[in-house]
Amino acid sequence: MLRAAVLAIMLPCPSLAQDVTVFAAASLQTALDQIAVDWHRETGDQVVISYGGSASLAKQITAGAPADLFVSAAENWMDVLEQGGVIWANSRQNLLGNDLVMIAHDQTAAAIVLEPSLNLAARLQKGKLAMGQIDSVPAGQYGHQALTHLGLWEQIAAQVVQTENVRAALALVTLGEADFGIVYGSDALAGQSHIIAKFPPDSHAPIRYPAALIQSNLAEPFLRYLGSDQAKAVFIAQGFAVGE
Amino acid sequence: MDFFAPLSPAEYAAISLSLRVGFWATLVSLPFGIITAYVLARKTFWGKQIVNGLVHLPLILPPVVTGYLLLLGFGRQGPFGTILADCCGVVLAFQWTGAVLAAAIMAFPLMVRAIRLGIEAVDPQLEEAASTLGASPLRVFATVTIPLILPGILAGAILAFAKALGEFGATITFVANIPGQTQTLPAAIYTLLQVPNGDAAAFRLVVIAIFVAMMALILSEYLAKQLGKKVSGR
Repeated sequence: MLRAAVLAIMLPCPSLAQDVTVFAAASLQTALDQIAVDWHRETGDQVVISYGGSASLAKQITAGAPADLFVSAAENWMDVLEQGGVIWANSRQNLLGNDLVMIAHDQTAAAIVLEPSLNLAARLQKGKLAMGQIDSVPAGQYGHQALTHLGLWEQIAAQVVQTENVRAALALVTLGEADFGIVYGSDALAGQSHIIAKFPPDSHAPIRYPAALIQSNLAEPFLRYLGSDQAKAVFIAQGFAVGE
Repeated sequence: MDFFAPLSPAEYAAISLSLRVGFWATLVSLPFGIITAYVLARKTFWGKQIVNGLVHLPLILPPVVTGYLLLLGFGRQGPFGTILADCCGVVLAFQWTGAVLAAAIMAFPLMVRAIRLGIEAVDPQLEEAASTLGASPLRVFATVTIPLILPGILAGAILAFAKALGEFGATITFVANIPGQTQTLPAAIYTLLQVPNGDAAAFRLVVIAIFVAMMALILSEYLAKQLGKKVSGR
């Protein structure tokens, strides 16, 4: 037993040369894991999926990471890869959409309507509002854009707690360290959070998840499968919007 | 972006916050560090290994675990956080003081190790001689032990300061990443790396981080040498 364990640590990883490697935004994990299992059952092919922040993944891909397919949660990082000639530009497509919601720790908090006349500060009182970094995390950027558009940002700017990713904001609300939070609809579903408001879609730029092949077309069948009805059903069940 | 352009207010805030966090984390933990190191070096008691293990825990645990435990314990909803807020009005979560606590805890094992080595190098007979001449234990500690272990204390303090300056995982988990309030130098660098074309700005901060760390190290070497001369009398 011990010898086997030692051997397992010492041996190099078995080669996965023929497997498709996917780099995908962390928020897609629940959905993509399930789709990868379905895909394996249908075709017998394996996909290896590496999850992370879109920025880290894009930098790794630029540095030559062996990814065949990239699904980003932010269009700007896909733009960077496209300008750098790293992706196969005509394979780029907007795979998914999402919506932005406000959640509350208190499960009995009343619903609010996000509009310019709202007194958000009164609702929040002395509490904190958790959201992604407003200058770097996509969910934070959308949230900042929407609150600014609605004229609500100045009311609560001093009470905003900025986190390094959207799931960290979700965790702070779940723990009760922050009273309110701004996350994606899919995150709220995954965290079984209490949604008190949906942001009007015209208050922020459309939330899109672009996907593109990187150099080879090895992942092309899997990318096509991601657009199939079966995969779409999984994405919808996880709170994403599909297809245009 | 121009490498030699003046620092933006946010960059300046991150650097000064990191220095402030490092300074206070070191200062506040130093008395505890000296006492803990002394007890671990000189005393034998039941449960010593448990105390030793607890002191070293932040060194062994992933920083994100330490940060999460701090959030659970010292957050607004945590047991210690509630007590501190009710009795003294002290709130640590999402404040720079929380960053000090996180940095102090992460740096504590390094500080204790360095000071303990210093104490173990001191000949106990010097202390015994002082007490046979009638000095109280406290006086022996203050006038004999402390001067002899000054180099160890200094090494521990500088190590703790350097560690506090670079602390990232526990800090960002406990107090998040609020520009101007809890965004330390490493968090600012991390944030810039998340923005397309943020690399140049990040690189400037990287250079500053290296510079500050090197200065701290050189200063500590110099001071240790000076103190060493003083202690050995040569």
